[in-house]
Amino acid sequence: MSPTAQAAPPRTVPDAPTQSPRRVRRGLSDARYAALLAAPAAVVLLALVGWPLVKLAVDSLYTGSGLGDGRRFAGLDNYLTALTDPGIRAAAGRTLAYTLIVVTAELALGLAVALLFHRLGPRSRILQTVFLYPLMIAPVVAGLLWRFLMIDNVGIVNELLARIGVLDNPGDVSWLSDPDLVLFSVALPDVWLTTSFMTLVLYAGLQAIPPDLYEAARLDGARGLRLLVSVTLPLLRPVIAVALIIRGVDAARAFDVILIQTDGGPQSASETLSLTIYKTMVSYNDPGTAAATSTVFMIVMMLVAMVAVLTIWRPGRES
Amino acid sequence: MALPDLHTTAGGWRRRGFLGLTAGAGAAALLGTAGCGAGGTGGGSGDDKTLTLACEGGGKTELQPIVDRFKQATGVTVTLVELPYEGLFNRLSSELSGNRPSFDVCAVDAVWIPLLAGKLAPLDELFTDAVKADLFPALVQEAQADGHFIGMPVWTNSEILFYRKDLFDDPKEKAAFERKYGYPLAPPTTWQQFTDTAVFFTRPEQKLYGTDVKGAVETEWLAHVLQAGSPGVVLDDDGGVIVDNAQHLAALTFYADLNNKHKVAPAGAAQTDWNAAQNLFNQGQTAMTRFWAHAYRQIPADAKVAGKVGAAPMVGGTAGVAGIHGPWYLSAPKGGAKADLAKQFIKAAYDNNALSVETTLGLAARKSAYQQYATKPGYESFGPLLATLNASATRPRPASPHWQRIVDGVLVPTIQKALTPDADYAALLRAARTQIEGIVK
Amino acid sequence: MTHARLARLRTGLLWAVAVAVVAAYAFPFVYLVLTSFKPATDAVAVPPTVLPRRFSLDNYLTALDRPGVTASFVNSVSTAIVATVLSMALAIPAAWGITRYRSRAGRMLMAGSLLVRMAPAVAIGIPLVTILGALGLTDTPTGLALAQTTVALPLSIWLLASFFEGVPREIEEAALVDGCGRFGALLRVILPVVSGGVAVTAIFAFLASWNEFLFALLLTSVRAQTTPIAIANFQSQFGLDWGPMTALATLYSVPAVVLTLLLQRRIVAGLSLGAVKG
Repeated sequence: MSPTAQAAPPRTVPDAPTQSPRRVRRGLSDARYAALLAAPAAVVLLALVGWPLVKLAVDSLYTGSGLGDGRRFAGLDNYLTALTDPGIRAAAGRTLAYTLIVVTAELALGLAVALLFHRLGPRSRILQTVFLYPLMIAPVVAGLLWRFLMIDNVGIVNELLARIGVLDNPGDVSWLSDPDLVLFSVALPDVWLTTSFMTLVLYAGLQAIPPDLYEAARLDGARGLRLLVSVTLPLLRPVIAVALIIRGVDAARAFDVILIQTDGGPQSASETLSLTIYKTMVSYNDPGTAAATSTVFMIVMMLVAMVAVLTIWRPGRES
Repeated sequence: MALPDLHTTAGGWRRRGFLGLTAGAGAAALLGTAGCGAGGTGGGSGDDKTLTLACEGGGKTELQPIVDRFKQATGVTVTLVELPYEGLFNRLSSELSGNRPSFDVCAVDAVWIPLLAGKLAPLDELFTDAVKADLFPALVQEAQADGHFIGMPVWTNSEILFYRKDLFDDPKEKAAFERKYGYPLAPPTTWQQFTDTAVFFTRPEQKLYGTDVKGAVETEWLAHVLQAGSPGVVLDDDGGVIVDNAQHLAALTFYADLNNKHKVAPAGAAQTDWNAAQNLFNQGQTAMTRFWAHAYRQIPADAKVAGKVGAAPMVGGTAGVAGIHGPWYLSAPKGGAKADLAKQFIKAAYDNNALSVETTLGLAARKSAYQQYATKPGYESFGPLLATLNASATRPRPASPHWQRIVDGVLVPTIQKALTPDADYAALLRAARTQIEGIVK
Repeated sequence: MTHARLARLRTGLLWAVAVAVVAAYAFPFVYLVLTSFKPATDAVAVPPTVLPRRFSLDNYLTALDRPGVTASFVNSVSTAIVATVLSMALAIPAAWGITRYRSRAGRMLMAGSLLVRMAPAVAIGIPLVTILGALGLTDTPTGLALAQTTVALPLSIWLLASFFEGVPREIEEAALVDGCGRFGALLRVILPVVSGGVAVTAIFAFLASWNEFLFALLLTSVRAQTTPIAIANFQSQFGLDWGPMTALATLYSVPAVVLTLLLQRRIVAGLSLGAVKG
């Protein structure tokens, strides 16, 4: 009658059709039933993602828009533009740099904070709670907020830095108007928003490490940094890999946070690919090039992610 | 209530109204937004007593009194569908390209005309000689495409010079200025005077700068290009690229040197846009600003400079005073179901143009409307605005369907590069020429 | 003795560091809230101040008085509810099918959901405009919710799958013996077991829609505009409206932040589970 009592002996043959009369009556194999369960979600995803992507691929073969001289079949011309246009290539480089900045900063900061919380134990829960809140804030709000913090003349960051003596004059650092600096500056809200996620994941990973492993390493004389490098990091590897892939993919697609802060400027120095695509499509009225660029972008993302999954994540743990 | 930027010229989100790309595009037509389907499709209300007009925030403010008057006179209800700047552009371009507009009349920014022209109905019979004579010449020129008038100007705007009367009228400042420069302190009328005055008032230790230098917008530099006597901005009348001619170079040198050499602007010139410049001036951080005339009536009562602001015409170069128009037009879609009624409303908007002057935005398109108010208190900015708009060197921007791309992709980045120490202005303009030729080819 | 003191000192130092880090992390939001209570001209004062010189509600009044702002809250809530319900209704059976039966189709759906996450949102959003337009769903909360489902649904599937992973098969089998159908067992027996996980997933689906910007930008104009768009409008159209913008941003963020603080334990469990397994 109780679940355990019933399930214990015959567990080994769950799929035998004769095992229970109910199964026969159902007349639906497990595989079919599972497919039926997943079908609505699959259909919706195909309709809302698959169809747009097909449409995108078709659009990428045409040039022109409905205004002016109209749409014409252009073959692979748009792809040639997407791959050779200096503006688009530069944006691709910036997207890569932005992703590296965000992911590196988040990993370093997230790991440090996770280790700190782990070391301090459950009593640090209040601090953990506060550290979590940016996760819930809309990227648009975060972008505007950080723009407001860093903006020339009105920004509080430089004012505070000047007051504590780091800067001589609040005007010394132009976070958002210095083209050499702006890519770092626009990454700050992204880092602020999602380091919490990194910390959470790594903290959970740290808690899953059996304490006796540490004890054993300590007995072998490992301390501090050695302990971190030889025990903690290798054990965290799968967790770090997952977090890196998820965040890397998100950072490469960054759009709203940057749009709100600088609109890609100055001198396009913070214009990542998502922004370039958006502008080409919307402001420049060139849907063909925008579609070709998106298609290339997406294919590259999938390849990179696949390589990352295969090399660092090493799936196969699953059944 | 605050008002939207009218300076439609600048590209980008912060530089102009921004928003929701209404992709609504094709769909809105199907939905029959506001129950008014032109193009014969939707809107069961295919009656002749309603019109739908798509505009942006400023347009709604400006047009409301005209709509009210039109209702009184004809009984026709005009619904103003307000969209943000980007959203309006997207709705117009997508619905017009699909030939299924959900509106009967639309407000069109000057820079969109070349792109949308083929889909807009001719309004030639509205442009009588009397009408043309009462409109600024640049607007008459800009309203045409392929030999037809396709838009009726509803308001226009230009940058003028705002200055701090309390500083300029201070006897101590006057004496000190004259001692230093040998001529009396007054609102500057030439580039040299502007530079001198800006240097004079730059006192970082008192948190006061001579003026702002705006790196994130391009129209101000283009106005200086016209002041230098260039036959056009960026492109000449035949579409040839002239962005590296002597006048463009002179204007860029004047514009960027204010920041690089004379250091008369607060930090962050590269990302200074209209909003930032307006705030700096209202906060009392700058002694002068070159800014759109409508801002005169928008200075908050609790701003540091409230009551202390004077207005003067835009400064002049070797070709005298010049500004860049920032006009909006009313147009009707080609083949619209209510084309005649739409035209009737557009005519009413012209006839009652002066009604817009008393709105919070306070702008008009007819010379007579501006002249009527120029002497009234509270409208001190109109005289300088008229002087700037009437100046012989004032011209419209070139009619290119690629204009937005040229602005966002080349002009603004070029200005920003010019605002770095040791920038080689001539080389930057040569590079800009190559890029623009690539875009317009 | 000295050893113990040294250890205590070190712990104290670590606490100090932790508090400092968290304080720095909290500052931006605190500054946002403080700024929202400054008079509008003080909010953009040069130089800026941390504390309001004068406490004022003007920014809130201005922000809420703007046309479309209150309506945008209604739109945000209704869009997020539709997106959440839709995502959960689709994700619960899918995730259960995937974890319980481990079929090839299930693995493909999991992989497909991950791929969706890799497509640039712009690339999906722009064609979606035309597609939803053809369905007559532009500028409606339903249309926007459908678009946002492309974000919320894969997330929900992955999170739920990790929760279902922990459900012993015996529970379903017992329910079947008790006379439930397979689907009945899922709804009446399995779901209550993982109700905590379902709640967490629903919160994340809700937030994914609540905070979403790009689709809202592409797909709405007047009637269905959500608050993130209304917030973004402040600073561009109106040069001097940083003050009201901070007020609206505060109003919009407070429910989410309060939710976090209240449900911190569950959210932590949900997020880390989903991520570690996913």
